[in-house]
Amino acid sequence: MTDARHPQFTPEQLAEVRRLQGLYPDKRGALLPVLHMAQDTFGYISLEVEEYVAGLFDLYPAHVHEVVTFYTLFFQKPKGRHVVSVCHNISCYLMNAKGIVQHIGERLGIEPGETTPDGRITFLTVECLCACEQAPMMQVDDRYEGNLTNDKVDRILDGLR
Amino acid sequence: MPKLTINGQPVEVPEGTNLIEAAKAIGVEVPHYCYHPSLTIAGQCRLCMVDIEKVPRPQIACNTVAAEGMVVETETARVKDTRRSMMEFHLINHPLDCPVCDQAGECFLQIYYMKHGLYDPRMTDEKVHKPKAVPLGPHVILDAERCILCSRCVRYCDEVTHTGELGIFNRGDHSEIGLFPGKTLENKYSGNVIDICPVGALTDRDFRFKVRVWYLDTAKSICNGCARGCNIEVHTNKHRHHHNEGRRVARLKPRFNADVNTWWICDAGRYGFQWIDDKSRLAQPLHRVGSQGTDVSWDRALEVTVAALRRYAPEEIGFLASPQMSNEDLWVLKRLADQLAVRNLDFRVPPATPGDEDNFLIRADKNPNTRGAVLCGIAPGPGGLDAPGMLRAARENRLKLLWIFHHDLAASSWAEGDVLTALEGAETVIFQGTNANDASARAHIVLPSAAYVESEGTFTNFEGRVQRFRTALPPLGSAWPDWMILSFVGKALGFQDPVFAAERAEQVWNALAAATPLLAGMTYRTIGDTGAMVKA
Amino acid sequence: MAEMIFTRNFHLADSHTLARYKETGGYTALTKAFRMEPAALAEEVKKSNLRGLGGAAFPTGMKWGFIPKGSTAPRYLVINADEGEPGTFKDRYLMERDPHGLIEGMIIAARAIGSHLGFVYIRGEYVQPWRVLDGAVREAYAAGLLGKNILGSGADFDIVLHRGAGAYICGEETGLLSSLEGKKGWPKIKPPFPAVKGAFGNPTIVNNVETIMAVPHIVNRGAEWFAGLGTKGQGGTRVYSVSGHVEKPGIVEAPVTVTLRQLIYDHCGGIRGGRKLKGVVPGGSSAAILTPDEIDIPMDADGPKSKGSMIGSAGIIVMDETVSIPEALMVVSRFYAHESCGQCTPCRESTGWIYKMTRRIVEGKGRKEDLDTILDVAKRGAGTTICAFYDGAVGPYISYIEKYRSEFEDLIRSNAHA
Repeated sequence: MTDARHPQFTPEQLAEVRRLQGLYPDKRGALLPVLHMAQDTFGYISLEVEEYVAGLFDLYPAHVHEVVTFYTLFFQKPKGRHVVSVCHNISCYLMNAKGIVQHIGERLGIEPGETTPDGRITFLTVECLCACEQAPMMQVDDRYEGNLTNDKVDRILDGLR
Repeated sequence: MPKLTINGQPVEVPEGTNLIEAAKAIGVEVPHYCYHPSLTIAGQCRLCMVDIEKVPRPQIACNTVAAEGMVVETETARVKDTRRSMMEFHLINHPLDCPVCDQAGECFLQIYYMKHGLYDPRMTDEKVHKPKAVPLGPHVILDAERCILCSRCVRYCDEVTHTGELGIFNRGDHSEIGLFPGKTLENKYSGNVIDICPVGALTDRDFRFKVRVWYLDTAKSICNGCARGCNIEVHTNKHRHHHNEGRRVARLKPRFNADVNTWWICDAGRYGFQWIDDKSRLAQPLHRVGSQGTDVSWDRALEVTVAALRRYAPEEIGFLASPQMSNEDLWVLKRLADQLAVRNLDFRVPPATPGDEDNFLIRADKNPNTRGAVLCGIAPGPGGLDAPGMLRAARENRLKLLWIFHHDLAASSWAEGDVLTALEGAETVIFQGTNANDASARAHIVLPSAAYVESEGTFTNFEGRVQRFRTALPPLGSAWPDWMILSFVGKALGFQDPVFAAERAEQVWNALAAATPLLAGMTYRTIGDTGAMVKA
Repeated sequence: MAEMIFTRNFHLADSHTLARYKETGGYTALTKAFRMEPAALAEEVKKSNLRGLGGAAFPTGMKWGFIPKGSTAPRYLVINADEGEPGTFKDRYLMERDPHGLIEGMIIAARAIGSHLGFVYIRGEYVQPWRVLDGAVREAYAAGLLGKNILGSGADFDIVLHRGAGAYICGEETGLLSSLEGKKGWPKIKPPFPAVKGAFGNPTIVNNVETIMAVPHIVNRGAEWFAGLGTKGQGGTRVYSVSGHVEKPGIVEAPVTVTLRQLIYDHCGGIRGGRKLKGVVPGGSSAAILTPDEIDIPMDADGPKSKGSMIGSAGIIVMDETVSIPEALMVVSRFYAHESCGQCTPCRESTGWIYKMTRRIVEGKGRKEDLDTILDVAKRGAGTTICAFYDGAVGPYISYIEKYRSEFEDLIRSNAHA
């Protein structure tokens, strides 16, 4: 059984790790791609995942922990099935990001940074996603959703299972 | 060798020298935090800014290599104002724990604020809070709020000990020094991060809250923990016995020696001083008759000792010296043994567990002066007994007087029963040492030695480097340095060798050097603070 | 109507495909470039007056010449696709709509600098653009345009796509390189500079997506043509990102002679709802804000500079009269505090503090000395840090307060305890 507390890549995944490491003049260059892979596989980057990945790179666990705590896309705790990241930077702020954030908070009953109790949605406020022409906007999992209104937000959230 | 000018003064430095070191060469201090000569350049603190001719903005000195014809100014109004700015940046989130922080008095936030800051603080918002009083390992405790994130400790664990325990996590003003959660700072050189931390973020658990540093005196010395002889400073609290439960030695710090230990010391050496002020210290001569031991005066102790030495034939006397003794101690013993014609002379006692060794500083031989003992000729004379032989002879009642120096024989690899039988077998057992042990508890005469920090002398390290240690404290109670005790004995026996009349350790050294070709010409002055090599 | 270069195919639904790219003249510059000497390529780019379009506006041809002559170390071409400057979104469009333009530009640039390995560092949030670019790279490999012996020329070039993981500082050239190496995105102390010692310790040239995409066009049509489209200081067109309180936010390609007024009013429909302009940021949030009387400037590398600002990433953020400038500054300060990498002291400590002060002012608890404190702290930190991130923060800190000071003072005055 492999999960974030007992992480183990499959032989195919390990081969992919080696392939990625070979693309860089120093195999450490593959650390971010492999951490993305680990997060996609195990759901989030637990301390066990960090130590496991450190072993694949001959790195001190402390240095992997440095990397994981530095970047915002790595989740150190379990996240919801969906991640909704609302931009609250300047152009979105000019286009009522505050209202959208408040609306989502009320709809989901949680504050930014939290996950709904049923594990469905993690709700975040984030810095500029560089889609300012669609402000106010948010990232839902892998895609951008812009020109948000309260109604559009409701439709999108309802579609997340 | 580029020639440059610093504050109007010409200076020539080796190729590749950075401006902090170039300035240091002419006594000019460029304040800095993150730079350390043993570590890679970080360039993070931004405090070491200097002005360089033709360069529009001040530059960090640590990452600027001295170049031919460079003109550097370290005290322009602009540099001074930049330093003041940098001090303010460093103190924005600093908790100002000085009243409860061990670093007070040797803290480079304090020192540089007084020298280069002296601005009125204007940060009145809530500061960033981080974990405080977090033990990182057996010896080091972290206060993350006090940390200025200079990263010296992180680089040290990566580049010096190659153990990589520490990292800087998160980013921005939530950046935090720490261990990988659940791990500890357990390498054998962990205490050095306390020295290189410029502030009170990493402090010494052993020293915590014991005594303020401005009450400490310092003396240059040599660690006695192994045969490397790392150079140290002994920091003592001589006058305030209400601190630290009256213990006089507060801490040891490594002293830089490019050839022996560079900037570092191992934890065993750093913390191996508790015995100096321990309750087991022998402070008075003791004479035991039957099971009754009484403290006696030195006159009485010497009287009994001399009587014992005169009672037995030379082959019935054995001296078990110790490689913990200084060259001076061992030389006077050698002279005494020769005058007495005693040939049963040795210093080698095998430890119960073999000492650990690594390819950094730690040596398996946990004695500071093994080579010195060899140089001084502490070995059985023709037909004489070595250490195991002496013990066997004592067990068989052939050795009547066994004089043990310092050794805790219970910690040797010799069977406990054999040791006890030997101690019981010898008619007279003299123990001369610093701390009580099984041997001193059974000895007929106990002569209290001064600890090496309570006298001066020399050790010879494993490479043949003779190094001086200086007096840090007066001897405890009535203890005397070993060489002085043995001189008293020699004089009391009527021997004329001038070494027994020595009043200073240096006189003993000079006698030793005069008699030993490999030490010819070596004096306390030539040994200096960094040592001198025995001739090859 | 000015000629569109970067966005010429954007109206085509399949503009991202190899077939459409070739059909519209793609990969002809490549053939021409392989017949030119590397030094000649660099010289052509130099003469074109192409300036870096990511933010620093450094002359591109000059940058290519920084790799030490005679160095035999492998050198890398790294594309900065970590678009993150608030108000900027042009690279996202460029990668999604014209990925082969980036690839062709990379192959040519690689030839100019002698590189056989290129990396595209793309911000982690750009998942769709990454997928499109990945598809294009696969097409290029399959067509023999990448890999060994490109089109039989004997030249090798590989492209590795590398996703970031969420950190604005990875858009800083050397922060990007640290991240590419698998570390935190901490910028590197300079010297050494990337062209001498960059990614993995080897000579590296870092260029923005859009900058590299100009290269095939310069090769095909010549430096003079490109230079002639622009001003004395900068050649060509560029893609501007316009957002905020305009009727028609979006990308606008125009020659760099275009003025800020023209972009706002002619290209983007003017202020929404017929309101009045209050202030505009011309070059991404790190650029100093400009007042309505400062917008008659060409939007090239020198125009905004003449008003104390900068062209930066050409991200134009338009604010109308409803905007509270103190609140806008708080939002921007929050961004810099969040994105400070924490490596060097002035930035790490003061970005958080300044954000706290701006928030306190907005919440009605400002004190009269706060404004001068922010200005003084910002000025003391400017120019002292490892990288220009802090200088980017200082842009808004100083310009918002200096140009709209009375609005801040009114807020503070309303605090009874000021």
